[in-house]
Amino acid sequence: MSALHLMNIYLPIAEMSESVFVLLGMGAAVGFISGLFGVGGGFLITPLLIFTGVPAPVAVGTSTAQLVASSVSGAVAQYNRNNVDIKLGVVLLGGGFLGTVIGVGVVQILRQAGQFDLFIALCYVLFLGVIGTLMMIESLQTVWKARGGVTPSMRRPGEHSWVHGLPMKMRFQRSKLYISAIPPFLIGAFVGFLAAIMGVGGGFVMVPALIYLLRVPTNVVVGTSLFQTVFVAAAATILHAGTLISVDLVLATILMIGGVIGAQFGASAGSQLKGEQLRLLLAGIVLLVCLRLGWDLVITPSEIYSLASPAGGS
Amino acid sequence: MSRRVMILLLILAAAAAGVVVPVFHEPSAFAQAPPSKAKKRAPAPPIAPPSLPPETVEADVSTRTIAVTSGYSGAEILVFGTIENSRQPSAESGFYDVVVVVEGAPEALMVRKKGRVAGLWVNTSTFNFNAVPSYYAVASTRPLEEFADATILDENGIGLDAVRMAAAADSAIRVSSEDLIAYKSAVTRLKQSASLFKRDDYGVVFTGRSLFRATIGLPATVPVGPLTARVFLFHEGKLLSRYQSRVVLEREGIERWLYAFAFERPFLNGMVAVLLALATGLLASAVFRRRIA
Repeated sequence: MSALHLMNIYLPIAEMSESVFVLLGMGAAVGFISGLFGVGGGFLITPLLIFTGVPAPVAVGTSTAQLVASSVSGAVAQYNRNNVDIKLGVVLLGGGFLGTVIGVGVVQILRQAGQFDLFIALCYVLFLGVIGTLMMIESLQTVWKARGGVTPSMRRPGEHSWVHGLPMKMRFQRSKLYISAIPPFLIGAFVGFLAAIMGVGGGFVMVPALIYLLRVPTNVVVGTSLFQTVFVAAAATILHAGTLISVDLVLATILMIGGVIGAQFGASAGSQLKGEQLRLLLAGIVLLVCLRLGWDLVITPSEIYSLASPAGGS
Repeated sequence: MSRRVMILLLILAAAAAGVVVPVFHEPSAFAQAPPSKAKKRAPAPPIAPPSLPPETVEADVSTRTIAVTSGYSGAEILVFGTIENSRQPSAESGFYDVVVVVEGAPEALMVRKKGRVAGLWVNTSTFNFNAVPSYYAVASTRPLEEFADATILDENGIGLDAVRMAAAADSAIRVSSEDLIAYKSAVTRLKQSASLFKRDDYGVVFTGRSLFRATIGLPATVPVGPLTARVFLFHEGKLLSRYQSRVVLEREGIERWLYAFAFERPFLNGMVAVLLALATGLLASAVFRRRIA
């Protein structure tokens, strides 16, 4: 038996045994990415857990708990650098709670229909594909312009879109924005919805939405997104544990310990990279995960049957 | 610095995309079961009297209760027994055939079948079983087909082809008998690849004229609950005797407490997970702020 299996631990809710080192390493790797980019990392840890044999509902439920830990340490690290727009975060959060509750309702309907896992896979492929491609194009253009000596600017103050014509305007000092509260509330609701149905923090939607739709400065985006993720992930964890009994405390604890350590290194590494480099890297990772998931849908599977517990569904 | 970070990220991305993932999944090490102390010597067999008393089989398992603790990574149980009034001249004679079947509690199971829809492989049909054993292991002195016919094996639920699978009525009326067979064999195949169904053709060994033993490996994924151990004695294709015993897989210590907590106080369990997460995250940032940045 390999050395990895010398420190096996039994996970009571997942009902399986796995090496402590493998789980710690997965937590640390995802935590590093989480701290670096300001994404929750759920889109990585959920598939990784499923690959190691954790039942899908437990993977989703437990990764939401891990998201709380990795995003709170990242959020505190960003807060200490004054990179969190609290006011914007609270507006996002209001929408986030609403979206989470709606999302849980949708999950129950899909489970009864028996198409939850197809829906999850298509959601992942669609969202990761679109966002990864957009970010890749944008960041490549920015890098290209920077090479040519033109200073790129994310903020185009003269430009007014439909976003600026909406009512209920609020002043977000930290982001240097004076915009309607409706778009951030809707973005928050959408991200909360994704958190509930996909078990992800939604940073991969939140970060580009704040940058491209609301024109929030890049340095504030990461911190504000993490701030919102902490609370949405906490709500999702309680709902998953309460309705699906899918939060494994032993698994969550090990992932958290690995994750928070990784996140600290990620946050300090991130402060040494340029914004467009960060976005290019994140785009690459997002596209890789998207391709991997899409590949499984397209290639002829070696086994067309699969087993599931009728109660769990996923 | 930035280049080193990028290389590290690419490696992580590759791992996330599943390129390096297979390393994570290897069969778990099984703890060696302690040798049994309770072997009973069979009484000296009578020397071929004119009317022979019928042979009977008696058996027991090495461990009645297997504790599933935080260090649990599967277990091995020893099933041992003896044949009363054994007539075989030696352990190697092959006069009797013994089959040991260890079975987990029946549970509901859903089988999904994928089909191609618009170029994508998606689940197109499902089939429900009301009761399929969570675990099924069969060990015998030689391959079952060599000493017993299919009818007797089927009647007694011996062998992977004879595992009792009760289809749900609403599923059963929808499919043809060929499809039903395909679903059942899919269950057997998938459970076999997960080590939850297994057969060991030479797993039962005679250690004396009447004593035999078999070791059965339980992977860590066997659902916690009662297991039944059944022992069958065959001679020339005839079932002479059978015996049944029970083993219980039980969570113990902190595992038991955590499991009960998650099911009895689900929302509180979620809140504990959140508080634990917040504490871990805040503690880490307090510790690391001084070291980094």
